Amino acid sequence: MTTNPSGTPLPPRPATTGTAVFSARGLTKNYDATRALADLSLDIRAGESVAVMGPSGGGKTTLLHCLAGIITPDAGQVLLQRDGGTTDVARLSDRDRSALRRSTFGFVFQQGLLIPELTALENVAVALMLLGVDRASAEHSAAQWLAALGLAGMEDRRVGQLSGGQAQRVAIARAQVTGASVIFADEPTGALDSGTSAEVMDILLHSTTGTGKTLVVVTHDDDVARRCARTVRLRDGRIVSDSLRAEVAA
Amino acid sequence: MSAHTDTVTLPATAAKASAPRVPLMVPLRLTWLLARPSANGLSAAALPVTAFALVTALLLTVVAGGLSFFQWKDDTGELYLALAAIATALLVVPLMTLGGSAARLSARRRDERLATLRLLGAPASTVAVMTVAESALLAAVGALAGVIGHLLLVPLVQLIPFRGEALGRSVWMGPGPIVLVATGVVILAALSAMLGLRKIVISPLGVRTRQQPPKLHWLRAVGAVAVIGAVVAAMSNLDGIRDFAVVVVVLVTGFAGALAVLNLVGPWLIGVLARRQLRAAQTPERLLAARQILDSPKRAWRQVSGVAMTCFIAVFGGTGAALMNASGPMEGSERFLGDDVRTGLLITIVASFLMVACSVGVNQSSLLLDRRDLYVSLDRLGMPVGTMNAARTRAVMFPLIVVSVGSALTAVVVVLPLAGMALIFAPLSVAVIIGCLAGGVALVLLGLRATQPILAHILRTPGAAL
Repeated sequence: MTTNPSGTPLPPRPATTGTAVFSARGLTKNYDATRALADLSLDIRAGESVAVMGPSGGGKTTLLHCLAGIITPDAGQVLLQRDGGTTDVARLSDRDRSALRRSTFGFVFQQGLLIPELTALENVAVALMLLGVDRASAEHSAAQWLAALGLAGMEDRRVGQLSGGQAQRVAIARAQVTGASVIFADEPTGALDSGTSAEVMDILLHSTTGTGKTLVVVTHDDDVARRCARTVRLRDGRIVSDSLRAEVAA
Repeated sequence: MSAHTDTVTLPATAAKASAPRVPLMVPLRLTWLLARPSANGLSAAALPVTAFALVTALLLTVVAGGLSFFQWKDDTGELYLALAAIATALLVVPLMTLGGSAARLSARRRDERLATLRLLGAPASTVAVMTVAESALLAAVGALAGVIGHLLLVPLVQLIPFRGEALGRSVWMGPGPIVLVATGVVILAALSAMLGLRKIVISPLGVRTRQQPPKLHWLRAVGAVAVIGAVVAAMSNLDGIRDFAVVVVVLVTGFAGALAVLNLVGPWLIGVLARRQLRAAQTPERLLAARQILDSPKRAWRQVSGVAMTCFIAVFGGTGAALMNASGPMEGSERFLGDDVRTGLLITIVASFLMVACSVGVNQSSLLLDRRDLYVSLDRLGMPVGTMNAARTRAVMFPLIVVSVGSALTAVVVVLPLAGMALIFAPLSVAVIIGCLAGGVALVLLGLRATQPILAHILRTPGAAL
């Protein structure tokens, strides 16, 4: 069983397969006269950690949103391997993409964006309840995840009673409690100081790629990118570099 | 001229002025610049303007309706005037809630921009002038729209029958009172803006800390039961009191006591029931709704407390009206009294619920815009829009139904023997009032539904929020 940096065991996850989980082909997306993605193609393998970097307006977030089915590209395909078959995310209806995000993907945002009225435990459990899991089971799994991420004893705290780093850990737990195989993180450490940022990245990497899941991180931070196995740089909606790192300090 | 490390030449810094004084025209020009309709589609100014328009239109109509009762100068006319005064007083609470919602909505938009200016170094006086100017401007535009709304409503109000004939021209107040009321709305908006100014000047960063919501003490319930017991005992012994003045004092005190009980026990009861809902919640929408109510049971109560008083009065007065009609025909100017009391009650109920519906619509719109990023993030997590809407609906409708039913039942307890008689002798009157209350609840639901397009718009155009 994998453990987090503090030694607490993480809930068991499926093993890494090493095959391409995402195959983006010829993605093009325009916002009025602005071209955000220009005929972009990219493969992301299962269990990989990919940092997407580039200048503001370079297409990073648009790429993440296309892969996650938050928006659809004007042209191109987003082929997702799951359940032994291939799904073109870009062709799914809004409702099906929403269901896909609930069941298969997890998200970590810059500000955490937890529901302020709910406790830490409820914020995590609600992701499972959305999938129809009964509340007791959902809260049991949520408590396991919070403990694994070093938040045991903080289950009943509300968002305002958590530090920025703790809130991001709750967001990481929420992203993964459903068993999501792909985690998307948009500037997950953007609102944190450097020390907390390193801690959050430790936890994010250990709990995702460390357990065979795929992690796609949009970031401006070189330190965050250096922690990922692969860095894809975009400019004007095109890939300008795609480098694999031999050793990653995960 | 300064230079960047990459040898990029930066523009020259403007010469520093020593302790600059800001001319009055500067904040006014800035206000105009910031108040212009933005290209965001859903203009942030539209909502406060709409809210002030609703406040003005309803306030004018309530005042006009009340003043129209001055047309009768006989003895019964005084009774009608007293009843109109009670009805108007009942509408003050929901009207103030609606006015408060409008002011808060205006403040939200104002705070964001003015806090930025304050951080950029704008002096407190500039922020003060801009605050008052912007709020007054929005309120003035809203008040103007409200006057038009009132003028459209007048012909409908004129059709309402009292004392056997339609109110007719007596509903028209003339331009003087209309201008006075509209100006009053603008002045109150400006005053409210000035009162809310201090926090921007002191803390422009507006750090929000959400702590555990305070629990309301159960002693509130004990106090409420004691007061209700005393009122019931006093009401049961009215027969023994010979002095009519004492009877009136007991009735008024009992009535005021019961209303005070509603205010005392309302937030506590809502909190207790919401905690039960929280424990039983098995779906995300039920969990979210219960937690939203528990975040501030007092706020949930404030939103619907106007309805509490109206429902209480509806049972109280409805029973009286029903028994009046059941006791046989009266003579002279009193012969319409039973029907007119019922008509007045129905109008008060509808107006009260209408104000709560508007207040709910304004508050929910404000909340949606405030929590724009959160709703976008929930959508990205895959939470269906239906779940978000269901949670919002439950968070409003649950306190409303608790309050409506709770206060109506409290009134039934207070006038128990009379209410029972009314149900037996005038079931139709009772049914009409119950139907009107149900219609009022549906009206609030409609106000809530009206905000669904705002959520849909937020999710359709998340912009650069995330």
